Order: sequence, then structure tokens, then C-alpha cells
Amino acid sequence: MDWLFFGEISLAGLAMGGLYALIGLGFVIIYKATRVINFAIGEIMMFAAYLFLAFAGGMEMSPWVALPLAVLGGSLLGGVIEKVMIRPMLGESSISVVMVTIGIASILVGVVEMIWGADPQLLPSFLPRKPVFIGEMYLAPKIAYGFLIGAALLIIYLLYFRFSRGGVALRATASDQAAAYSMGINVRRVFNLAWVFGSLAASLAGVLVAATGGLSPQFGAIGLSVLVVVIVGGLDSIVGALIAGVFIGWLETVAGAYLGGEYRMPATFAVLAVILIFRPYGLFGTHDIERV
Amino acid sequence: MFKRILSKGRRFAGIGTIAASLVAAAPAMAQDKDPIVFGGSIPLSGVFAFAGVHIHAGLTDYTNWINSEGGINGHPVKYVMEDTGYEVDRSVAAFKKITGSNTVPVYYGDSTGFMKTIASELNSRGTTLMSGASFATALTDNEQYPYQFIPGPSYSQMFGIILEYIATQGKDGDMPTVAFVYSDTEFGKDPVENGKAKAAEMGIKVVEEIVTKPGSVDVSAEILKLRRVRPDFVVFHGYVLSPINEFMVQMRQMGLDTQFMGTFWSSDKLIINKMGADADGYMGVMPYNYYDSAEGGPMLDTLRAEAEKSDPDAGYRPTGYMQGWFNAMVWTEVIKRTMDAGKELTAENMAESLASIKDWDTGGIIGIPVTVQDMSFPVGRIWRVNAKEARYEPVSDWIHLD
Repeated sequence: MDWLFFGEISLAGLAMGGLYALIGLGFVIIYKATRVINFAIGEIMMFAAYLFLAFAGGMEMSPWVALPLAVLGGSLLGGVIEKVMIRPMLGESSISVVMVTIGIASILVGVVEMIWGADPQLLPSFLPRKPVFIGEMYLAPKIAYGFLIGAALLIIYLLYFRFSRGGVALRATASDQAAAYSMGINVRRVFNLAWVFGSLAASLAGVLVAATGGLSPQFGAIGLSVLVVVIVGGLDSIVGALIAGVFIGWLETVAGAYLGGEYRMPATFAVLAVILIFRPYGLFGTHDIERV
Repeated sequence: MFKRILSKGRRFAGIGTIAASLVAAAPAMAQDKDPIVFGGSIPLSGVFAFAGVHIHAGLTDYTNWINSEGGINGHPVKYVMEDTGYEVDRSVAAFKKITGSNTVPVYYGDSTGFMKTIASELNSRGTTLMSGASFATALTDNEQYPYQFIPGPSYSQMFGIILEYIATQGKDGDMPTVAFVYSDTEFGKDPVENGKAKAAEMGIKVVEEIVTKPGSVDVSAEILKLRRVRPDFVVFHGYVLSPINEFMVQMRQMGLDTQFMGTFWSSDKLIINKMGADADGYMGVMPYNYYDSAEGGPMLDTLRAEAEKSDPDAGYRPTGYMQGWFNAMVWTEVIKRTMDAGKELTAENMAESLASIKDWDTGGIIGIPVTVQDMSFPVGRIWRVNAKEARYEPVSDWIHLD
């Protein structure tokens, strides 16, 4: 066995998995706080990536100015969606809310096609192009630097949720909404905050992923493929999203390299099927017991 | 003052309307025969819309031009289309709707999926000849698809043309090595088996085959595989843009001197516009002259003039536009030949007329006279990107497969 090749493949997979983890985090934050499965997460990623294209490409801003602006734009979009379209659905059945998020996804695709057209796009190059070597192992620079930027945001998030008042409010609301409400936490604001933070993580992942794989109005489909990550990790577990993201990224890449590209999805879905059989709530998800 | 300008404007507008009506009426008066309908399932939205809008423009402009020339044997041409979103069920619905309310001798299909789905209905109707966006090898099977043709070489024939070119690039008597990179779709897999057989026949070694998942985010693992086999050429198929850019950039970063080639839908100017300097040296097989090529010819000049007239601000017209125009050109030729032979416009008669096309001069759209074989035009040329000039330039003669 060529261990150097295996090492290089694994490194590429783990780095890609880091980006999956970031998207998964966007799913989980929103679900954990509001119990809404956001099927528009991929389209929010896409929208942020198009904003980056507009700022860095169309307006010729420095990519390092365009990146935070695009990410903030994406998170703002998340906040607006929550306030305008999700909040009025409070109390409705969860399937209705899911349908609203699917509708939002279609609207965003339409808006993007109207503004930027249907042509596939490449983002202006903003990550260093010099190949990265870890020992003798090669790692594509876009993936390596994308992973580092994503990891930085993940650490900031973890610290924020652990130590800040907003983070504690978010965790409290996720644990017990009624108790959080009675303790004076503004639950509605927490809901909005969860959409803003979830969309922010997704937006950053959107720009980083589009910088690697290109961008088109169909880009949002990646959000659904990351659904596997959050189901494996547990829909309400941040740690689960991180571990499952990295694992699925690695598995997909290794399966693609050794079995062929057509086996990437079957490999991940095989894992998903096994997890659903033995732990239907995911590796780290909360095992809810409903007593009647 | 403002009122005066307004009333003057209205007067001019009125005169303009009358003049426009007369101009519009002139061809109609000359063409009092029944219109011939060009039908079309056109992907103006959805994943293929990037090409669909240009295909539509090509078909529209050709229709306007042919009508200005008196139509086909005095019959005006009417172009009737529906947007399909590049979805087979919507394409089928559009076909039924358009053929239900019109007599449609020729029809544009937007995908291989649609053209295969509609084949049995097309065969049983026997009224319509179909071509479209697909260059699928399967459509050259005259038994199964007797009334469908390909407006250029099939994907397998494109691989054949590419391999013919590669075979001329060996050094010191050695044949170059090649790797095929294709998407895990029906489109992507189409020419691979025939391509491998042709390569073996020519003595070209296929050192690696890479299949990528549609919408793959990262292809660096696949690129690492190519680094180990160091192919002289990589041939892409089943893509429009990504991940071609990633393969080219990363393999060059690794210091490989591999050359990169692609088939029709991955050989448009989009590659140059989006990749910039990184696109330099990329090669594509193209059956038509590019809109901005140095080549000329009466029909190519007409196409350029018509494109300029319909949208002066559009500038370069993509290969989808050329493809739409060429489809309509072939339909016209086929209908004309059928009518001139005094035959009815049935699918069988038109298929016969198509098969009779031999050494046809396309007026510069294709650089050499073309002959139809197995319901396709097996001709093409290799073009290379000159990134500095932002255009493709020919690096081979026209190759007409036997």
C-alpha cells in the first residue's frame, strides 16, 4: 500500500470535512435553538457566495473586505428570513415550517438567477496558490487555507457559546424554552440570533466551498448533502456536527480515491443507514423520550 | 417645450409604427403559403439555462433571417417554443402542447433524456424530425432513433477527433498517454467506452480514468491520482466549467506539463472568461467556427450580422448560439431537399433527405464541406485558448472522421 498516497488523500478529506463541519454547524445551531430543519441552508451559502462575487468581482473590492461583507450579508439574510417568514409560523406544524424553508430555497435560486444569471461562475482567487506540504504530503492550498479559516470560526463559536451571555442564552433556550422564558431570556431574540449565527457559519462555508468548487444557481444542493453529516452526528449536537463533518469528508474522499468517484455517495449513505439503524438520533444527538 | 417634444415624438412614433407594419407585412405578402413550424423544448431556466438562452437566440435570429429571405421555398417559418427548465417531464409536456396545436416537421430537444424518452412517440407519429442540444452517441443508432440526428459529431466522435489530434503529438516516435476525467452522469459516461476502444486501436495508452460526482466540491484526491500517472493529456467530458479549472490549476501547481482538452459543452469562452490566464493552453474540439474566430464565409458572416442586428450590445455569441443556428440551418436544408423532391414533410422523407447530405457547404459555419454519417456530422477541429487574446485559435486542420 502506498502510505504517502493514503496520507495525502486522508489529509485532503479531513480538510474538506472541516468545511462540511462548518455547514453542519449552521444546520445544528438553528435546529438546536428553534427546532426548525432549515432546508434553505445551501441557498443561504449560495447567496453569500454570490455576494462575495459581486463585492470582489463586480465592485472590485479587496477579497479580504468582500469576505466579511458577504458573510455578514448572508447572516443578515438569515435574520431577515427568521423574522419575516419563520416567526409567523410559530406554533404551526413542523412540516409546514420545513415547507416554508424549501420555498425560501426556491425563491433564493430565482433571485440569484435574476441578478447574476444562470452561467456557472468562479470566484476571484483570494487564497494563496502556493502548494502546501505537510512533511512530504501535498495538500491543495485552497482546501488547506479554507480549512484554517473555517477552523478559526469554529473556535470562535465554541468560545462564544461557552462563555458569552448570548451563548448561554442560546444554550438555555435550546435546553428548555419555557424555563428560559420564565428566567427572563428573550426567546424570540434568541431564535433570531440562532438564525443569524447559523447563517453566518453557512455563509463563510459557502464562500470557501465556492472558491474551490465553483458557483452556480444549483450550488445550494450541497446543503442537502451535508444533511447526512448532521443526521450522523445528531441534529442537535454541535460536537456531533464537527466530528461527523470531518469523518464524512474523510470517508467520501477515501472512497472516491480508492473505489472511484461514483462510490462517494454510496459510501456516505451506507454509513448513514447503519447509524440510523443503531442510533436513530445520531451519534451524539439527544435521545428524546416522549411520555404519554 | 416639453409638450412639443412629446407630440413630435408621438408623430415620429406613429410614422415609425406604419413603416414597421409595412416592413413586417412585406415578407408576409410574399409568403402566403402555410407556415413551417420550428418547434422547441428550450431550457431557458434550470441547470442548462446558461446555454439555453443562447440556443434560443440562435434559433430566433435564424428564423428572422430565413423569413427575411423569403422563408423556405416561399413558406414562412414560425418558431414556437416553451421553456422546460431542463426537466424531461416539462420537455415532454412542451412537445405535446406544441405538436398538439401545430404541424411541426422539425423540433429542438433540450436533453438526451428527453430525446430518448420521446423516441417511441416520435417513431409512431412519423411526422417530426428532431435534433437538439444532445450529442449523445446513442442517437446515432438509426434502428432505435431513426428520426433524430446530431447537429455535429457525437461525443464518441468528439473523443475520436481528440485522439486523432493526440496521436500526432507524440515525441521521438512514442505515443502520448492520456487520462479521461468525466462526470458520473449519463452525459459524462457517454463516450468513455468508445474512447477507450479507439485509443487502444490507435496505440494510445489510457493511464487513468477519473469519475467525479456531479457537484463535487473538492477534487484534490482525484488530482493526486493523476499526479502519480503523469498523463501527457487529460480529456474532460461532462462538464461546463468546474472542476476543469481545479484540475488545471492544481496539476500545474504540482509542476506537471500535462495538456488539457475538452468536448463541445466544455469548450466555450466561459472557460476563458472565468479562468482568465489559467485557461491558457486549454484545448477543445469544436465542430463550428467560433463567433469571434478569424474564419469567414457567407453564412458565418450572415450569422454575425444577424446577431449584431438582434442585439448590438451582446458582443461575442457563445457556442450555444452557433449550435442553435446550425440546427435550424440543417432543418431548412432537409425541408428544402424534401420539398424539392416533391415529397411530403414526413419524418421518414426528411430523414432520407438528411442522409443524402454529402459534401455540403455550410457557408463557413463548419470550415469544410460536410457529409452526414449515421445521422451525425462527424467533423471537428481542435482549438486552443490564447488567454492573452481571450479567444480560441485553431491548432489542427478540420478532421472529418470516416
